Amino acid sequence: MMHLPVLASLGARLQLARGMSRDKADTLLLMLACALVLLPQVAHLPVWSSLAVFGLMLWRGWLTFRGKRMPPRWLLLPIALLCMGVVYASHKTFFGRDAGVTMLVLLLALKLLEMRAKRDLFVVLFLSFFLMLTNFFYSQGIVTALMMVAAIIALLTAQLSFQYTGVVPPFKKRLRLGALIFVLAVPPMLMLFLLFPRIQGPLWGLPGDAHAGRSGLSDSMAPGNISSLALSDDIAFRVKFIDPAPPQAALYWRGIVLGNYDGRTWSALQPRVPHEQLTLIPHGAPVRYQVTLEPHGRRWLFALEVPQAIPQLTGNPAGITGDLQLLAAQAINQRVRYDATSYVEGKLQANESALTLQDWLQLPPGFNPQTLAWAAQLRHQSDDDAVLVNSVLQFFRKQPFSYTLEPPLLGTHAVDDFLFSTRAGFCEHYASAFVVLMRALDIPARVVTGYQGGEINPVDGFMSVRQSDAHAWAEVWLKGSGWTRIDPTAAVAPNRIEMNLSRSVQRHGLSGLFAAGMDKTAWLGTLRINWDAMTNSWNQWVLNYNMAQQKNFLAWLGFDDVDWRTLASLMLGIGVLLTALMTVPLLWGQRPKIEPVDALYLALCQNMARRGHPRAIHEGPHAYGARLAAELAADRYLPIARFLALYEQARYGKNDAKSRSAMVSELKSQLTQCR
Amino acid sequence: MFSVFQSRLRRPFGKWLFRLRDAEPGEVFLNQRRVFIVPTRPGLAFGLLLVLLFIGALNYNLSLGFVLTFLIAACAVVDMHLTFRNLAHLHLAAGRVQPVFSGEDARFELNLINRRKYARYAIWLDFMHTMQPATPQATDVAACAIQTVTLSTPTQQRGWMPAPRIRLQTRFPLGLLRAWSYWQPDLKVLVYPQPEDNAPPLPLAGEAKVDGLGNAGDDDFAGIRAYQAGDSIKRLAWRQIARLNDSLGSTLISKHFEGGAASLLHIDYSRLPRALDTERKLSRMTRWVIEAEMRGLPYAFSLGEFTLDQACGPAHQAVCLRALALFEI
Repeated sequence: MMHLPVLASLGARLQLARGMSRDKADTLLLMLACALVLLPQVAHLPVWSSLAVFGLMLWRGWLTFRGKRMPPRWLLLPIALLCMGVVYASHKTFFGRDAGVTMLVLLLALKLLEMRAKRDLFVVLFLSFFLMLTNFFYSQGIVTALMMVAAIIALLTAQLSFQYTGVVPPFKKRLRLGALIFVLAVPPMLMLFLLFPRIQGPLWGLPGDAHAGRSGLSDSMAPGNISSLALSDDIAFRVKFIDPAPPQAALYWRGIVLGNYDGRTWSALQPRVPHEQLTLIPHGAPVRYQVTLEPHGRRWLFALEVPQAIPQLTGNPAGITGDLQLLAAQAINQRVRYDATSYVEGKLQANESALTLQDWLQLPPGFNPQTLAWAAQLRHQSDDDAVLVNSVLQFFRKQPFSYTLEPPLLGTHAVDDFLFSTRAGFCEHYASAFVVLMRALDIPARVVTGYQGGEINPVDGFMSVRQSDAHAWAEVWLKGSGWTRIDPTAAVAPNRIEMNLSRSVQRHGLSGLFAAGMDKTAWLGTLRINWDAMTNSWNQWVLNYNMAQQKNFLAWLGFDDVDWRTLASLMLGIGVLLTALMTVPLLWGQRPKIEPVDALYLALCQNMARRGHPRAIHEGPHAYGARLAAELAADRYLPIARFLALYEQARYGKNDAKSRSAMVSELKSQLTQCR
Repeated sequence: MFSVFQSRLRRPFGKWLFRLRDAEPGEVFLNQRRVFIVPTRPGLAFGLLLVLLFIGALNYNLSLGFVLTFLIAACAVVDMHLTFRNLAHLHLAAGRVQPVFSGEDARFELNLINRRKYARYAIWLDFMHTMQPATPQATDVAACAIQTVTLSTPTQQRGWMPAPRIRLQTRFPLGLLRAWSYWQPDLKVLVYPQPEDNAPPLPLAGEAKVDGLGNAGDDDFAGIRAYQAGDSIKRLAWRQIARLNDSLGSTLISKHFEGGAASLLHIDYSRLPRALDTERKLSRMTRWVIEAEMRGLPYAFSLGEFTLDQACGPAHQAVCLRALALFEI
């Protein structure tokens, strides 16, 4: 009697040592899972909302730790209204992608503070799952996917932790169950991912900001536009060459053609020539390749100069303009893949009409008087356009021009300043000045922006073209040879074209550090190359899996020309197979091993139960035998009694393995006589 | 949603659909055919969530969105397996049950036998079709173990009362699905009549006692004697036991009383006033049996044909109460 209070206090102390109460532990686990969901969101949430969510979570954590009451509704309601107000103030709307995500994130944090019933648990869980989806608007990389895996396992573990009623296994065991559910869910997921009929979205109009925040070239060029991209290591597109890749210096990925100059900014010229009149006389062998273009939110496609045909995009037909821009019908908001063939050398539109050429001679009046004067002077020296072009390039080469990412500012007469005083700039300065000069010389000219170069990844053979490879060059129209590419930057910094940007530009400070990552020889570089290759295959196989890819995959499986019925039956078949595979280990593989002796005894008991004499749960073989003796006729009981006696001896007596196996066979024969 | 179904269970359709059977003797094995499974309300909401996720992934062409949708859909399928496994292949056996007086709660002991290598958690048990909705009782069964659960239900009528049909349910592990099964245990409880409140005193001075036979008072202390089987525990002479224990080892000693009245106590159905109805008479007799036993008075018992000589003790009481419970049933 004396021991009881001692034991009780000992138990209480043990409880303390083991940690907190179950309720607390469960809630903290759920909060941890929610934190895993919210963490990747911080990257694109407004700072205030990240802080608000952090504060709310901290508050909830503190309440849980201290075992305090949840805040009352009258306190939470103003906080929720305040949050909504700030969302409206910062986004100017409740609709749209970013505002919606911010709202949902805040809602989740507030719901955690208002969790009262079991139903609320599911609200929190479901909100978390939904938020995980919204995170994919911003990033679908490998790291995001790994975060998703961690968050799902954490959410599952939290969800199942709330379901226990009595005994709660230790956290490790619960985590293992959560992970088990996840692992078992992977094969059906793969099946659904590969075979579920894909429809090309979107189903309805997306909010205006659905594809915001993508970097890339823009449809105009002002000083500083391209150099701002130079530091971005983002992939613009990846290329898989089918034919051998042309040399680095020939890799001009043509994008946007700009012909309208207002003294500062170059913008697109309304093209007058419909594309039927495009004429191309190719030289040399064609180069075939496949481009995987990252979404950039604009319509143009990139191809090596000069593309032979218009690339085919599923569900988004592309066209070509008179100045040889490839334009898709809709903005590129998903990663797309297209095949292209180009001729690196060729004559483009040698027969352009004089009327059309007039468009490419316009200059804004009242700008750059010094340049115009110098052009007039040059004009006197020669009549041959090609000679003039060369002499201008000579000028760039001979004068102390420098190539830099951080050029000095230019005044109103930007080209004058650049050509005659600062003489330092990035490719856009050179291209702009060159084209202005050419037009002043009465030579039709235009600015072309796109990408130059690319880096072959030795791991998977894909060439990656990054935003830092963005480039601007010029095209002049010469009699006889048509539009001809001239890259004034090459005259100043030939390295830029022959190698790549990172080696040709002197960098200072942070950008210098950054350059180290670009260096292939450093171990960090190796790591980067491998990571790039991995990201590429991730993009190619996971993120780019769409209708067309699904068709290819099914064709590879041997199902040509599938309709939804075939898909459905295929899915059903594999689904049944997977379910069966899951059932076998779960339901059947978990039986304990029964000793042969016991199996025989159990067989007897089942036998007798079928005849109306079941063994009661509390009865051992002896007591059961005694009862059967009373219930059965003597001749029926006798073999049973013998069996039971033998069983007792085999089960409880001293036996070696040999006598044991002999007894088993004896029991077996005895069992046949028990009826 | 499914409560509609369950309320119609008495009908043949429900009986067929859910394979309701009569009481089964011995151990019952919950095979696959006896375990049913449907989504819970959160499970249905989860289905809605999946649709939303799918539409979102489709509309924005999010490949990872498809991965997420299909992954958690597959998690629900795995949950279905685990929920089913949590209940299926469980063995059930009826345990003991003690007789109760009408109006008290009958407590049925039920054994859940897990012969599998995995533990089962959060299995809820309750009775179907009881008048008062009883709160379900949750239990866990460890791997290869037996768990005994006691479910109670109020009694209203004397006689044999079979255990109501039992419903076993579980939502473990994710709570998205509910698996359940029905079991009619082969178990019945003996319900004694309800003891009458404010019953008249024991018929000590019955008709035979009018002339004042025997000694007055039944509990004149007449000394002590060695304990004999059948002596009431209430009459143990604790003080003497404590004193003697050192020398004689553990010997029990009981007090001995001489009471003449004891010989006169006869609880007899036929001597009760005719105006009372049968149940009332049984109820009064029950009260008297309890009271006599409490006071340790030996009593004779007559109920119709059934007669018992004067005796005392739990066995005697049990026989009397059993006769009262089953009278004319």
